[in-house]
Amino acid sequence: MTVLTPERATDVPAPARSGAAARGRRGRGRAGLVLAAPFAILLTVTVLVPIGYALYLSLFTDRLSGLGFSGPRQAFVALGNYADVLTDSAFHASLGNVALFVVVHIPIMLGLALLLALLVDSAVVRLKRVWSLAVFLPYAVPTVITGLVWAYLYSPNSGLSAVLPVDPLGKTGILPSIVNIATWQWVGYNMIIFYTALQAVPRDVLEAARADGAGGVRTAWSVKVPMIRPTMFVALVFTVIGSLQLFTEPLVLRGFTGSVTSTWSPSLYVYEAAFIAGDYGRAAAASVLLALVSALLSALVMRLSNRRSR
Amino acid sequence: MTLRPPAGLTRRTFLSATTGLAAAGLVGGCASSTTTASGATRVRIWSWLTGMDKYVAGFNAAHPDISVELNVIASGLKGGYAQQTNALRAHNAPDILHTEYQGLPQLLTTGGLRDLTTDLADLERGYSPAAWQGVRPGGRTWAVPMDLAPMVLYYRKDLFDRHGIAVPRTWDEFRTAAQAVKQADPAARVTTFPLNDGSFFAGMCWQAGDPWWRVDGGAWRVDIDGEGTRRTADYWQGLIGAGLVATAPTGDQDWIGAMHTGRLWGLLGASWSVGTLVKSIPKDTGRWAVTTMPTWDGVPSTGVQGGSAFAVSAESKVPEAAVKFLRWLSTDPAVAKIGTTFTTPFPGYLPSRDVARKAYQGGYFLGAPVYDVLDEAARRVPDWTWGPNALRMFSTVVDHLGGVKTGGTTLAAAVRQTQADAVAELRERGLTVREGKA
Repeated sequence: MTVLTPERATDVPAPARSGAAARGRRGRGRAGLVLAAPFAILLTVTVLVPIGYALYLSLFTDRLSGLGFSGPRQAFVALGNYADVLTDSAFHASLGNVALFVVVHIPIMLGLALLLALLVDSAVVRLKRVWSLAVFLPYAVPTVITGLVWAYLYSPNSGLSAVLPVDPLGKTGILPSIVNIATWQWVGYNMIIFYTALQAVPRDVLEAARADGAGGVRTAWSVKVPMIRPTMFVALVFTVIGSLQLFTEPLVLRGFTGSVTSTWSPSLYVYEAAFIAGDYGRAAAASVLLALVSALLSALVMRLSNRRSR
Repeated sequence: MTLRPPAGLTRRTFLSATTGLAAAGLVGGCASSTTTASGATRVRIWSWLTGMDKYVAGFNAAHPDISVELNVIASGLKGGYAQQTNALRAHNAPDILHTEYQGLPQLLTTGGLRDLTTDLADLERGYSPAAWQGVRPGGRTWAVPMDLAPMVLYYRKDLFDRHGIAVPRTWDEFRTAAQAVKQADPAARVTTFPLNDGSFFAGMCWQAGDPWWRVDGGAWRVDIDGEGTRRTADYWQGLIGAGLVATAPTGDQDWIGAMHTGRLWGLLGASWSVGTLVKSIPKDTGRWAVTTMPTWDGVPSTGVQGGSAFAVSAESKVPEAAVKFLRWLSTDPAVAKIGTTFTTPFPGYLPSRDVARKAYQGGYFLGAPVYDVLDEAARRVPDWTWGPNALRMFSTVVDHLGGVKTGGTTLAAAVRQTQADAVAELRERGLTVREGKA
């Protein structure tokens, strides 16, 4: 494109030059618009408009009359849907489930990922590539398949459930079971992220630590971990957001056990409201609330991470 | 991946040709033309019925003036209802929509279905009353019935005979049979009572004769915790508590395994379970028999689980052609003939059922002919009305049944909670609701 070629200003007379420059600026502006357009259009069409529509929907509800066969009338209820969701014990229960999931899943999963990454990074582990690939592989399996595989393993007639002290599909066993699926799936992914960050730790720092007499464990704990802390916080934020959206695992397990209710996690709650109850207003309100909680939690984690790294 | 112009084409012609194609595709996608290129009336149908493609092909071949275009959608609560409801709300629904009897009132609350009362007035006498009633919530005809799915009891006749267990005619006898099965083989159970299937539970309660919903003047009457349902709940609570029945889902891997290894001697199923049995355990030919459901104290009665019907969109521009296709689909002997090539259809339309009966190969079941038993069961179906939140209640009742297996709750408690939820939901939606029996 010609507009983007750098102009040679030397032997062009002043007025013409300023005109060309103006044209160039305008052209450059247009080019910028053209280049940004695909992103802007996609962002608008697939993110901003749906968010706006969800906000709009969340303010309305469908009211029926008579036997309901004459169709719904859309009624403005202001924040009524939000009040419904916030006072709905099923929504509270779903938040409780996911909070418990976060508390159990995140330390185990990230801790395990960090430990594995440190082991792979140190000289302790042989066959680094085979090892990392093996741990990473579950991430490549689609979640639905993962859920089905584990559901069969958890089923009463499999060997696994006979060994376990509690029924993995029972009322108390279901949360650990879901944590297990998610951990199995995500530990390799986070290990790779941590391992990559560890690769970037300057080797001279490690040598200095060794020269000062630090052993492998001491180096890992006092040098490597602090140096990849920013990466760990990013992984934490992603995991928190991902955990709040917990959906596929419980949905798949629901086909195998009554311990997972139709509103077990907030995402399932939204799904139930929209596609089973047909209550789009309540579904939209719950989605907005879920998005707000995610944003707040992410902001909180980021704030903490900034304070720590200062 | 990039699109490479084929050799011999210049880039420019390639580009303009592909752009033209894309534009044509877009235009084609937006076109709502009611006729095809050959001048036939275009009728669009969405359905998840197995073999619908074969029925449509059969119709199109025989009717050059109408071209039915099928779009296969996800089944029922797996997305089919949501997709159709959204389409009706967005005013771009197809001409014909798929529904089950239990989903029809919920689909009706979109206000988007055509009243077919006059279009179908002459057909009433041809159907099983249960099928005809199923498409007439509120006393108007809203859909065309396809099949009927009365519930029956399938049992391992070979094992029952070997151990001298009498075929249960009442639920009391069924309990005795359940004990006998467990005694004969401690690992075996007479059946599973799947706690994760709301439509199954509703079908079992249907038999007891207290409909969960009724139209009461201009209002809905909700009676999910009525006497019949409570009796059903208490009875099965007793069997589950005593470990006389399994509670695992029907049809999954575990179930098929248990059927294969003789750990389940019976199945509380519907007409379509014939297909499930033949497909899941083909080696069991000559072991199973089918009989009508045990009854409450000898009163002949049976519930229904499932069955499809088809509705016409109120905004269809070609309702006559749509109705013509649906009349053919529901009543033409050719449909039953096509159906018997890949399934065991049990049409709601009686003359079609005779066609299916004659074409049925048989050989799988011992004892009474399966169509005779199903016919008898279809005659025993008592009155029932599905409410505008029936589908959601299937999901709600399963939520409440979740703790039954571990003893955390009882079927009776689940039924009470479901009643409360159902009433609250309908009121929330602005409907007038009365509780209890009229």
